[in-house]
Amino acid sequence: MPEIRVTPLGAGQDVGRSCILVSIGGKNVMLDCGMHMGFNDDRRFPDFSYITRNGRLTDFLDCVIISHFHLDHCGALPYFSEMVGYDGPIYMTHPTQAICPILLEDYRKIAVDKKGEANFFTSQMIKDCMKKVVAVHLHQTVQVDDELEIKAYYAGHVLGAAMFQIKVGSESVVYTGDYNMTPDRHLGAAWIDKCRPNLLITESTYATTIRDSKRCRERDFLKKVHEAVERGGKVLIPVFALGRAQELCILLETFWERMNLKAPIYFSTGLTEKANHYYKLFITWTNQKIRKTFVQRNMFEFKHIKAFDRAFADNPGPMVVFATPGMLHAGQSLQIFRKWAGNEKNMVIMPGYCVQGTVGHKILSGQRKLEMEGRQVLEVKMQVEYMSFSAHADAKGIMQLVGQAEPENVLLVHGEAKKMEFLKQKIEQEFRLLPDAKKPRLLHGTLIMKDSNFRLVSSEQALKELGLAEHQLRFTCRVHLHDPRKEQETALRVYSHLKSVLKDHCVQHLPDGSVTVESILIQAAAHSEDPGTKVLLVSWTYQDEELGSYLTSLLKKGLPQGAT
Amino acid sequence: MESAEDWLVESLRLYQDFHAFDLSGATRVLEWIGDKGVCVAGYESLKKNEILHLTLPLRLSVKENQGLFPERDFKVCHGGFSDTPVFDLKHVPDTRVLVTSGLPGRNLRVWQVPEDSDVIRAVGSIAVQEEEGSLWPRMAIFSSMAPGVLHGARLRSLKVVDLESQKTTYSSGVSDSEELSSLQVLDADTFAFCCASGRLGLVDIRQKWAPSENVSPGPGAAGGRWCAEVGHRCQGPGPSIASLGSDGQLCLLDPRDLCHPVSSVRCPVSAPSPDPELLRVTWAPGLDSCLAVSGFDGTVQVYDATSWDGTGSRVEPLFTHRGHIFLEDSQPDAAPLVTTHTWHPHKLRTLLSAASDASLHVWDWAERRAAC
Repeated sequence: MPEIRVTPLGAGQDVGRSCILVSIGGKNVMLDCGMHMGFNDDRRFPDFSYITRNGRLTDFLDCVIISHFHLDHCGALPYFSEMVGYDGPIYMTHPTQAICPILLEDYRKIAVDKKGEANFFTSQMIKDCMKKVVAVHLHQTVQVDDELEIKAYYAGHVLGAAMFQIKVGSESVVYTGDYNMTPDRHLGAAWIDKCRPNLLITESTYATTIRDSKRCRERDFLKKVHEAVERGGKVLIPVFALGRAQELCILLETFWERMNLKAPIYFSTGLTEKANHYYKLFITWTNQKIRKTFVQRNMFEFKHIKAFDRAFADNPGPMVVFATPGMLHAGQSLQIFRKWAGNEKNMVIMPGYCVQGTVGHKILSGQRKLEMEGRQVLEVKMQVEYMSFSAHADAKGIMQLVGQAEPENVLLVHGEAKKMEFLKQKIEQEFRLLPDAKKPRLLHGTLIMKDSNFRLVSSEQALKELGLAEHQLRFTCRVHLHDPRKEQETALRVYSHLKSVLKDHCVQHLPDGSVTVESILIQAAAHSEDPGTKVLLVSWTYQDEELGSYLTSLLKKGLPQGAT
Repeated sequence: MESAEDWLVESLRLYQDFHAFDLSGATRVLEWIGDKGVCVAGYESLKKNEILHLTLPLRLSVKENQGLFPERDFKVCHGGFSDTPVFDLKHVPDTRVLVTSGLPGRNLRVWQVPEDSDVIRAVGSIAVQEEEGSLWPRMAIFSSMAPGVLHGARLRSLKVVDLESQKTTYSSGVSDSEELSSLQVLDADTFAFCCASGRLGLVDIRQKWAPSENVSPGPGAAGGRWCAEVGHRCQGPGPSIASLGSDGQLCLLDPRDLCHPVSSVRCPVSAPSPDPELLRVTWAPGLDSCLAVSGFDGTVQVYDATSWDGTGSRVEPLFTHRGHIFLEDSQPDAAPLVTTHTWHPHKLRTLLSAASDASLHVWDWAERRAAC
């Protein structure tokens, strides 16, 4: 009888990092090894001590599988294999194997050179880690050992992304990683056969969203570029993800042709070299249909798109430039940014997530004055646009995948429990995944023995019946600020500051003077001994840990001078 | 599809902003909850329907720095299941209660949107006068300390029921069997009704049934089906009631004199509407004399009524939203029909529209004239 145990390392209900341990048929497999991009300390790494405190990880794990090259899925891999210690096989697709080390090295450079981090993996560690990689092809059954076999399926999302089936005897688990069910210009949609796994583990970060159509997102991009170019401005588009740059180039080219536009479009030279390498990878990886459309446009034989020369950045008049790297942290894109930032007619379009510490991250947080090398301050007057081109499955996509694979059970990771109940019911109703009295299931509950009967109930119900209070963990932190004004004024300053910085969050100033950020409470009090100092009490529940920590460190930096 | 690509390029000029979504099931309902959320609900008869409470993408709610909000998606805040089709849904203001109506028309269902979970639960029902055939009760909410639900499929079955006690606090008390097409609460004591025949009336619930109404069989006579909406404009006198007929006739009336429309025009639509129950006319909350019309085909038309007169002349729309036709993915034969539309409460030219192919659009047309 199958007992499959799934342990998300570093919280299954915590968005930001993927690392899941699966025990199936006596085998232990680690799925993904991601870095949590929101933390700067050890909390960004998964807690590997769960697997074993004393023994060697290599003895406990049969293999590691990496679904794709995004850092929240592979960012902790070198740390895991070289600093904690793992010598077993690491499975991933060929494109992932080729692109992973590039991203890891980029990230390492930012962490060490820009942020001066000490306990970080080295370039050599990245190389040593990649030596342990065994690359796999789609739909190829790979025997890890006599009993354990794995198979990769196409996941869409980014180049090389795969969903993996893990099989031991008659038991199997399918892990989706990130996937996408709607095809775009250069990637197809995820697909899996009716493999009927005992368990399907699927990402559910976007499970509760209904996505805007791809056409409308493209339209938005075109509109922004067109508006900037019409007013004579220059548009900078920092890119890393080679595939995304391709897609955007094709889009602009089509549009320029149709509208008979004259403004020049360039891509930077750094892109050319990587792109050719990528192109070769891509062609062997992709399917027939996409290969045909792609081959028609041989990379750099666009009619309207030309190779960039750094001298062009000073040319007058409108233009569009695709330049690397994607987070504006160094190199050509940063150089161009510095030249163009001071003109409000210009525009920079950030196409993806930017790691903390990069210029990209700063401008996306709303910062308009940047301190550059040599303490020079750069004033950013150009328009900053943030466009999300990433492709994830939404509720509809998850239903489609469940319909394709026909699993016995579905596990949703990376979502909040309270916000998953509707989707859970939807899946159960659609696919009738309700418990079967004949099949054994692992469940968690509380056994109540009362009078002469036994009952197994959920923990929440047990607490209710026993009249016990559920304890909510709440953290409070004190931040000292030098501010001789009254508490109410300090609170107001805190409110104004947070409101301008935390645009994605609900920041409120309550009638009693306290400030709330989502469900985190901040109160200002006078210091008992020093009237010139105010103490900010920041309080949050366990679920808000991430935001609470971030807020505390933000407040510790002090308030901007001259804020109301 | 070539035409879809063409239209999309055209759309750059026609719209400021444009979002297109695919719901899992088509909706006939777009009900605002606050100004950041809308409810939609399915109307299929053979399978379970979903009732969803959606939150708008953040960029549609913020006033500045829109560029820094990449999220263009709706979030499903809460969801629930209904075994029966939902034709109308109303939110009881300042509460977490929803009321739905549909077929079979023997009761209204009451739902709770919980705080601690994302599942909308059915918590009760309100019995109504049962009708035969495909008649279902229209509804409107009297919101006050003790909210009441105004409902009825015909004039004779019009009642107000207290939501909490389920007691009937008002009855029309008439034997008139005219079929209702819409109900709208205007203030704590007044509501407006529109019958399918075009008969309109304003009723004060503090008095015995004595509505001020148009007595003649409707502004358009000669059959067809009508619906109406009263605008919530605070400024001055002038027409604030719009009445739309399934043959494309649109009348504007002053509440003080329902018998004589202030203006009457003919909309350039493919009449008659394939499903007159889906006809909808709405007033723009933020633009003077602006109306939106849908239910004839796959378009939503916006009109500027400033210079209309009473001659029944043809008018041209200020703007026509054709997105539902051009972005339709399946066969060209099955042209979608717009099932409902609504205006954004404070973004002047932003509308939401839904169609029979389960599409949901949010669009903001580019301003061309200073007037509207």
